[in-house]
Amino acid sequence: MEELSAYAFLLPALLLILAFMIYPMGDSFYLSFTKYNFVYDKAPHFVGLQTYLAVLQDGPFITALKNTAYFAVIFFPFLIILSLGVALLLNLPLHGITFVRTSVFLPVIVSLALTGVIFQGMILSGKFGLLNHILGNVLGLKSWTHNWLADTRTAMPAIIAISLWKYIGFEALIFLAGLQAIPETLYDAAKIDGADSWQQLIHVTLPNLRESFALVGIWGIIQSVKVFEQPFIMTQGGPANSTLTLYYYTWINAFDFFKMGAASASAYLIAFLIMIFSLLNMYLTRGERV
Amino acid sequence: MLFKWTSRIILYGAAALVSLAFLAPFIWVLFVSFKSNAEIFQVPITIFPHHIVLDQYDHVMRQMSEFAIYFLNSTIVSVVSLGAVLLLSSLAGYAFGTMAFRGNKFMLGLVLVVLTIPYAVYLIPVFILENHLNLVDTRLGLILPYTALNLPLAIFIMRGTFRNIPHELEDAAQIDGASRLGTWYRVMLPIAAPGVAATGIFTYVMVWSEFMFSRALMLSKDAYTLPVGITFLQSEAQSWNFGVLAAAIVLTLLPVLIVFLLLQRFLVKGIMEGALKG
Repeated sequence: MEELSAYAFLLPALLLILAFMIYPMGDSFYLSFTKYNFVYDKAPHFVGLQTYLAVLQDGPFITALKNTAYFAVIFFPFLIILSLGVALLLNLPLHGITFVRTSVFLPVIVSLALTGVIFQGMILSGKFGLLNHILGNVLGLKSWTHNWLADTRTAMPAIIAISLWKYIGFEALIFLAGLQAIPETLYDAAKIDGADSWQQLIHVTLPNLRESFALVGIWGIIQSVKVFEQPFIMTQGGPANSTLTLYYYTWINAFDFFKMGAASASAYLIAFLIMIFSLLNMYLTRGERV
Repeated sequence: MLFKWTSRIILYGAAALVSLAFLAPFIWVLFVSFKSNAEIFQVPITIFPHHIVLDQYDHVMRQMSEFAIYFLNSTIVSVVSLGAVLLLSSLAGYAFGTMAFRGNKFMLGLVLVVLTIPYAVYLIPVFILENHLNLVDTRLGLILPYTALNLPLAIFIMRGTFRNIPHELEDAAQIDGASRLGTWYRVMLPIAAPGVAATGIFTYVMVWSEFMFSRALMLSKDAYTLPVGITFLQSEAQSWNFGVLAAAIVLTLLPVLIVFLLLQRFLVKGIMEGALKG
């Protein structure tokens, strides 16, 4: 009886999850072993691992892999360090700190698409953008003004900076939760032992943030690999493919070329990368369970 | 004492700078949206609007009929998806949280899997499926996947909420002869309100801002939601009108901003509690 009513409560939700998540997960896994042009082919044609081999040897895929690695290697450490810094600041008993917390968190609720429009259209644009105005007219650095998204050297760094602006608030909040859970008595004990604030940070705060690091890490890894809206909206992967990311490459295969087999394969390669790094993250932040 | 004062000044300065860094883009867009075209294209540009005019908003409302369509689409899709997620997740969360039933571990596993798997993995088969079912370009075609994609996290939050409600309340209702469904609706749901609020704001923010599914599944102009529509307005606006774009951005942001400021404490509490239990 109990089991039966439990099923009744679960059924509607599970049906939707089954139809739009579990089934698609299986279907795209199957598609990743096929050749299937959605426009020309009647049905997927099974070719086994060939799809993966073709994707791995595709020139644009290699470019996208390199660009994604470039993004991740810079974005991830900056994300962790800046979020921790912001969280330490937010944890201080300052007047108006809730206002600061709200402002830091605000970009989190703005869609990535809109973030792209705001930055490309209003901040980074050549003539009337805010950044060039401040550099050229306020700070007097005329030579620094620049068409940021149109230069192969600055397009990716600009995308990284914008992504940091968008994501730091979320990560800082997770760190903040961890900071507030550290018992005050640990700091009191450290003070009695004569530890200054730097030593307290190293020996009390950081070791007690292990679980926060685990969570912040996994979420940061996902955002480092799933880079899509930023290049799609702001640069279309350019200039000269310098911002073509793995996720965007997958999109182009699927919805510009309708190569559903190849796109499914690269989508699963992305999932695989996220899984590998998540496991690494779990290993590095593992607890000493007794 | 002197050291204390200087360090306080430095900390307040840092707090102000951090705040400004995150707010500046919003403030700038807001300023531009209140300027006249003459002022926007003045060289060198000005930061503060000299005269506050509503021309740009007027233009969006009266002459950009597309904007109203995108706004309507986004509103309908968000409201229906949100309602469906809240209903289904509070039903399922109740079962997972209070009934003797195997599968809680499975649920936790599913949430983790869902969070790490890139949406593209789901999107490709959903695109093929919706083409066969003629759901492309329909609102239902977005509402169904949006509801499904947001369910795992929502169920997870609701499961935790119901689990923390004392058993006695539920037992008392059942002794009085209330059915399971009646108990859920009359006794448990009102107590679970904070969890519902947290789930609601999460889901709303996700759905209102979702881009990829909408971009792939809504192919005609009449079906676009705001995140997709605004990127097309942007490409038009760049060549002719900057101020209108700013006003459109402000109007797109406004609903989510209002909801966020009203329900902020639930969201912040939800993330922070989730972070600790995680």
